[in-house]
Formats: sequence, C-alpha cells, structure tokens
Amino acid sequence: MIQPRQARSARAGRRLLLALSLLGLAWALLGTAYAATPPGFIHEVLPNGMEVSILPDPSHPIVATRVWYDVGAANEDPGTRGFVHLFEHLMFGGTATRDKRAYWDHHHACGGSSNAYTDWDETVYQSDIPPAGHGQVLEMEADRMIHLRLDQENLDNEKRIVTEELRMRTENDPMTRVQLAALKGVLREHPYAVSPVGTREDIAAVSLERVRDFYARYYKPRNAHLIVVGPVDGDSLLSDVRRIFGALPAAGVTPPDVPPPLGWPCPPEVDLKEDLPPAKIAFLAYMLPPPSAPDADAIAVLCELLAGGYANPYHEDLVVRRRKALFGEVMRLDLRRGGPFVFVSGVLPNRSKADQFRDMGETVKNLGRKDWLTDESLAALKRKLMRRYENQNYFAADRAEAIGAERWWTGDVGRAFDRAERIGAVTRGQVAAAFDRYIGEASPVRIYIEPERIPLLVRMFGWLLPLFVHA
Amino acid sequence: MRTLFTIPVAGLLLATVATLAHAASGPGEPQIWVVDSSTTGVLVEDHRAPLVELRLVLPVGGWSAWPPRSYAVGAAWDLQFRDPRGVLRARADRLAADVSFSGDAHSFTFAVGCRREDLDSVLVLVRDILANRAFDAREIARRNRTNVIEWKAGQRNPDYMLSLTARRLLWRENDPRAWPLKPWRIGGDVARLAAARDSLLRLPRRCVGIAGDLTRTEAERVAAGLMPPATNYPPALLESGLKPVRPADLRPRDETVSLPRLTQVYFKYVRHALPLGASDWPALLVANHVLGGNFYSRLSSALRHEGGYTYSASSGFGVEPDTTMYEIGTYTRTASADTVERRIRAVLATFRERGITEEERAAAVGFLQGRRTFQRQSPAQVLDRFLWERVRGLAPGARDAAVDRAAALSLDEINAAIRRFYDPAAFTMIRARVK
Repeated sequence: MIQPRQARSARAGRRLLLALSLLGLAWALLGTAYAATPPGFIHEVLPNGMEVSILPDPSHPIVATRVWYDVGAANEDPGTRGFVHLFEHLMFGGTATRDKRAYWDHHHACGGSSNAYTDWDETVYQSDIPPAGHGQVLEMEADRMIHLRLDQENLDNEKRIVTEELRMRTENDPMTRVQLAALKGVLREHPYAVSPVGTREDIAAVSLERVRDFYARYYKPRNAHLIVVGPVDGDSLLSDVRRIFGALPAAGVTPPDVPPPLGWPCPPEVDLKEDLPPAKIAFLAYMLPPPSAPDADAIAVLCELLAGGYANPYHEDLVVRRRKALFGEVMRLDLRRGGPFVFVSGVLPNRSKADQFRDMGETVKNLGRKDWLTDESLAALKRKLMRRYENQNYFAADRAEAIGAERWWTGDVGRAFDRAERIGAVTRGQVAAAFDRYIGEASPVRIYIEPERIPLLVRMFGWLLPLFVHA
Repeated sequence: MRTLFTIPVAGLLLATVATLAHAASGPGEPQIWVVDSSTTGVLVEDHRAPLVELRLVLPVGGWSAWPPRSYAVGAAWDLQFRDPRGVLRARADRLAADVSFSGDAHSFTFAVGCRREDLDSVLVLVRDILANRAFDAREIARRNRTNVIEWKAGQRNPDYMLSLTARRLLWRENDPRAWPLKPWRIGGDVARLAAARDSLLRLPRRCVGIAGDLTRTEAERVAAGLMPPATNYPPALLESGLKPVRPADLRPRDETVSLPRLTQVYFKYVRHALPLGASDWPALLVANHVLGGNFYSRLSSALRHEGGYTYSASSGFGVEPDTTMYEIGTYTRTASADTVERRIRAVLATFRERGITEEERAAAVGFLQGRRTFQRQSPAQVLDRFLWERVRGLAPGARDAAVDRAAALSLDEINAAIRRFYDPAAFTMIRARVK
C-alpha cells in the first residue's frame, strides 16, 4: 500500500532520529570500550626525547607506572648474553642520594609493589602503588635514570645473584632445559635464540666499564617511555613529569632492530634427547611476522582460533578424533620482531618419529580445510578478544603494559585503545590468507625430543600399548 | 518540530546519564540473598564494563571428609565439560565464554565469564553442562596416562620433590593435606562419575556468586533455579577429612632427596603453621612478612643481598582455618650449600631470640594494610574473596579483620608470639641435592 508522501516522510524522519538517538545511546554505553582514545589520555614527547603517556582513570584504586627502556636481551652481542638482565638488577642499587633500599622501602610501606623484567625486546620497570604514595615514584625513577650508583661490589654481588637465577630457571628442570635447547636449535645464531638470563660464562665476564657504558648509552630519556595509568590528574601530573624528567639531558640511543625470525635460515630438523619421563615430544615450528606487519590483526585472530578455544581444532583432530597423541598443544612465542608458532604433540615411547610427524602433518593438513574458520567462529572469537580487553581495563597495570607494548612493538601508542575495532575489522578471507601464507604454504622446522632412557619393558612390548591405552 | 527536537535531546541526555553511570568507580560491596533453603546468592555490582562473572561454589573440597574417598569426585567436577563429541566445549567457544572448574581445600567451583549480551545463552550452557552425564571415557583414559607421565616429570623437578617430601613428613598418609603421594587415577565408570558429580551438586550450603554488570534484580533472576534442588545429606559428609598432624618429635629433623643433574642445592625448612583462628595468627602474619615475606626480609638480606648466595629466599604459609605448612625456601650453588644452611638456621635463631624491631613492625603493617587495595580492582576479585571466606565458614571480611588485629598488636606481643612459634625443634630441614 502506498503511503501519502508527507506521512511517509515524517515517519522516515522519526525513524532516522530514533536511530540517531539509539546510536547516541549505544555510543555512550560502549564508549569506554570502543573509544579510540580514552578521555584525558596524554601522549607527549619531551624536548629531551623521552616519551610520556598518561591515562587518568579515577576508577582505579592504584597507580601503575612503567618506565620502558627500548633495549632487551636480543640487543646483546655474542659473548655478552645475560648482560641486559644483569643490568636490570643493578638499577635497584641506589643512587648518589638514595640508599639502595629507598625505592623498595617507599613502595613497601604503603602496600605497593615494585619490580622489573627483561625480555628479548625491552626492559621494563614496574611500580604499582596506592595514589597517596605515587608522588615520590617519578622522582625516584628520574633519579636512577641519571644518578645510578654503579660500583664493583654491587656488580659482583648481582653477578652471583643472577647466576643463581640462571641456574634455577634454566638448568634444573628437564622440560625447561629441553625447551631452551629447542629454541637454540631452531634459531641458532639469531638474537632470540638464547634466554634473556644468558649464560654463566658471559655473566662472569661483565666488567664495570661495560656496565657504565651501557647505562650511558641506553638508560637515558631518548630511549625511554614513561607510562602512568590510574587515579591521577593528567594535566597536573604532566606538569610534574615535565619538571622532573624534562630537566634530564637529551641523551641515549635506541639499539638497531634485530632481524625478524621469519626468513631466518633455520635448520629443517632439530633432534634432542633429555631426561624426560617416557614420552616422545614433537614440535612443528612456523615463523610469524612482527606485530607491526600489515596482517598482524589477522594473525592474532588466527592464533586465537587455533590455540585459544576449548575445542581447539588441532587438539580435537589429533587427540580427540584421530587419537594419534596423548596431548596436542599449540604455542606461540610472541616477540617484537615476530616469533615461532608451534604445534606440539606427545606420544608414548612405542611410537616412531616418522609416525608422530606424519600424524601431526596430517592434522595440520586437515586444518588447511579451515573447518574451524566460519562466520560464527570468527564472530565468537572477536567477542572473546573484546572481553579480554575489557577485562584488562579493570587493572591499571595491564593498561600500562598494553600502552608500553603497542608503542614499542608497533610504533603506535594509539593501538592500545583501538584493539577491539581492529580485531572487529578482520575478515574470514584475511584469516584464511594468513593461515595459508604462514602455515599452509610454509615449511616448518621439525623438532623431535626423545627421552634418554626408555624402560626395558616398554622397549620390548611397547608395540602392544595401543591395544590398551590412548596413543 | 517539537518531536524532531525532543527525541535526539532525550537520546543525548540518556547517553550522558548512561556514560556517567558507567564511569562510576570500582566494585561495590557484596550483596547477599537467599536463593533457596540450600543456596545463597551473592552479587558484586560493577558497571564499568559489560562483563559478567558467575561462580557456582560447592562447600566441600579436597580436605573435606566426603570427596577424598575418591579422586573421582574432583575429576568428575571437571569431566562434566568433556562430552565425547565436544559439543559443550564448542558451544562455550561460540559464546566467547571462559569456563573453568577448580577445587581447593574447601570448595569446588564452576566459574564462567562472559559478555553481558551473551549471558542468557551462557546460562543455558551452564545448565546443560550441569545436566551432562555423557562424560568422555576416552578422555578419562587419556588423563590417567598423562597423570602418570606428569608424576614422573615431577620426580625430576627439585621443587616438586621438596614439596612431596614435606607433605609426606608433616601429615599422615590418610590425611588429604599429604596428597598426592602417588599418581592420581580416575577410578570408576562414567555412570559412577556422573553420579558423583550429581551428588556434589546437590550438597547444601552452596553459593551462586555473580560479579559485574548486573543489577540485583537481574542477578536474582540468574541465580534462581540455576542448580538442581539440594538433598539433605548427613552433616558428617560435609565435615573435615583432616587427621591429627604428625608431631614434630615423630618426624626426622633432616631429610635429603637426590635428583640427577642438579646444579644447585634446594632447601625447604618446614613445620606446621597456625590455623587462621589461632590467637597467634595475626602476629605470625607480621612476623612472617619480616622474616621472609618481602624483598628486604631477614632471609633475603642474609642470603641474597649479603653475599649473593641465592636469587630468592622466602617464607610463607597457607592461609586456612586449618593447620597448614609453614615453609622457608631457598636454593644455592652446590659449593655454598653448607654456608646457606648455616645462615638459615642463624637467621632463625636471631629472629627468635631478638624478635623484630618497631621499624620492621610498622613497615610490615603498612604493607599488609595497603595491600588490601590491590584486592579490590575488579568485581571478580571482591566476589572470589567473599566466597573464599564464605565456604570456610568465616565472617565476611575475616581476612581483612585479621590484618587489622595484626596492626593493633604491640611489638612485645608479636615478639612473644615469635618466641613461641619459631622453635627450631619444630622444624625439619629438607634438601634436594644432585644424585
């Protein structure tokens, strides 16, 4: 039935206005989660080169501060493995005017925590503290950026400490030993091939002169990013930051980028033996590009679809449906210049290496049919990631880490706030293309780990095991 | 014209109000109501994000009299999500829901997190999981295999072996605090496992906890009828399964375990800790923090900062209304092992003899009180803390109240408690050395 023109027009107008109103409401309801840049967010480069990000949010009960130095273990030269991590320890050694305990004592007295970590790509100093205690944190961070006390006695003590850390983290658990051996076997001379805790020999060889040179070169404003998230007054805090950090000399350099693992000459196979329980473990390792790559969002979705669900398609095919392994996992080492994406399987020792890799290969081939990639699975995954991002917004520390990582890993601090939109824009075609490019059409490194000892009974009668047990 | 103007203005006003409401501060206080005669509802409202967390909490756990009769009960709690065709797991993925099953000393918990917009469908999934009786028999066989492999992997790990040895020494074999002393095995067929899950689900004194972007009215609707009616079990089934502790004079003062290829010696110096309700418990909270609970603790100073013997030296204990384990732990290179052991004993002797200083007491109390802020960042944190206290029969805020009691103690009171607790005769030294 044809409506009179005027009535149709008025109805259309009302619909339009209603739609606009609802859109306005929806925008407001979802504003916190979807706004590209939260209200009050400040990002500034001080005249001395230091970057500053401040995200005021009165709903947080604590203030998270991160000082992010753009230097990590991957920037070490051969023969100095573990140096950057050792230096991180020295940053807690006090300054010309502050005792080495001052930083800790200040946090401790009001329930706060202070710590640091050294990764392959960066070194990050963390302070989480109730608002009343935040005032002195910036002063102390600036102080140790310029007046750190570096002496032989403290260096020698920290060398002993990080060597004990190295032994504990890397030498005394067979699974850790073998994982590090696998990383080294695959990446060989690549800077990502050695754990950030380094080697005993290189740590022992560190000199005070080298420590001082490193401090002067990398722990200065031009190579630093200060991030503060929490119940702060943004403008007032920015004034404090300009006064405290702006007074520091324009110094420091950023080390050159390390090469991406994608394209690095890796061996086709790595064979290892370790003191493992009676199970054989195999990895198929594929290299992924850096998070700054144009298809990084599609890769993030791909990895979550393959590794993140309860009905993980790799495990479902290999372990549940075909019963070819006792366990099947998917792992990703996500680094600034890219890293390995790994399919893992574990089988009983009666299985041969050829069979184990054949079964894994068939499952990866089955994944190539992309039954796991549907409009429904993609939409669900996007909601899941959105939920993860929204959950992170409860925690000032998580938001500060995200801001720091996006600036350094992708060169765009704003990407910390538009993750939901970017993931929301990823299409099935893009995910499928990422799978084909980095997995389907790529040649993996095959890593095989055997137990050093297989019990005699298993060696003799292992071929009977499939009659009784899974895989 | 008037209509044209009114609608967008109303929309914008609504939008502004909604924005302000959603910018409100953090999680509220727990709101409690009676769902039915056997079920309590709890809501922690927080409208900052469109997220909802749900917890179904049953008031028995690994230390209760009933579940330890069969490891199957704990296994069944998790296996209810493992139907053979993976339909339930796939539905959870499609709903972008986080689903987890856990158990601790006093409870089994089914936790689900989702976006608010998915909640109704997630509730249907929750009911279907709780009604699932088709557990995957092949998954049970697989887990029994992997449990053995993981157990054998643990025999090669120094931390695991120290923990196993300590449990074996402190508790009797039939005490669940000692378990596992051998690889777990899921016994029973699928029907028995499903029956065990059904029994667990129908226990009285259970809780439905909700946190996030729901109003009280909405939360009450969610909680109503989510679980099947409870059955009146004999109260004995809900009682503790713990046995009297093994007295210090009935266990060795020293024990050494040997593992291949260790490049360090690992230490665990253990005794029984105090239960949460003990009169000396608040004092122990402060004392432990000074002894080994912070970066510049007595132990960390003696073993890390002075001499670089270790990367970490700490002390701690399980917080429970029951007796738990008190442990001092560290490790060092083999050549320093004797020195470190002497230092541990010397630190403890001095600690007992001289106690802590007023400066240490004030710093510890400041830390413990300030730390509570960190437990109130998300609504799920507030809910989980409330539920933790609830299933243990503690009053809401009992842990915070214990901190307040600790803060009110005088230095003399704390040091008297230290003299009572840190008696070397109560401790056993366990070492893991290279074979």
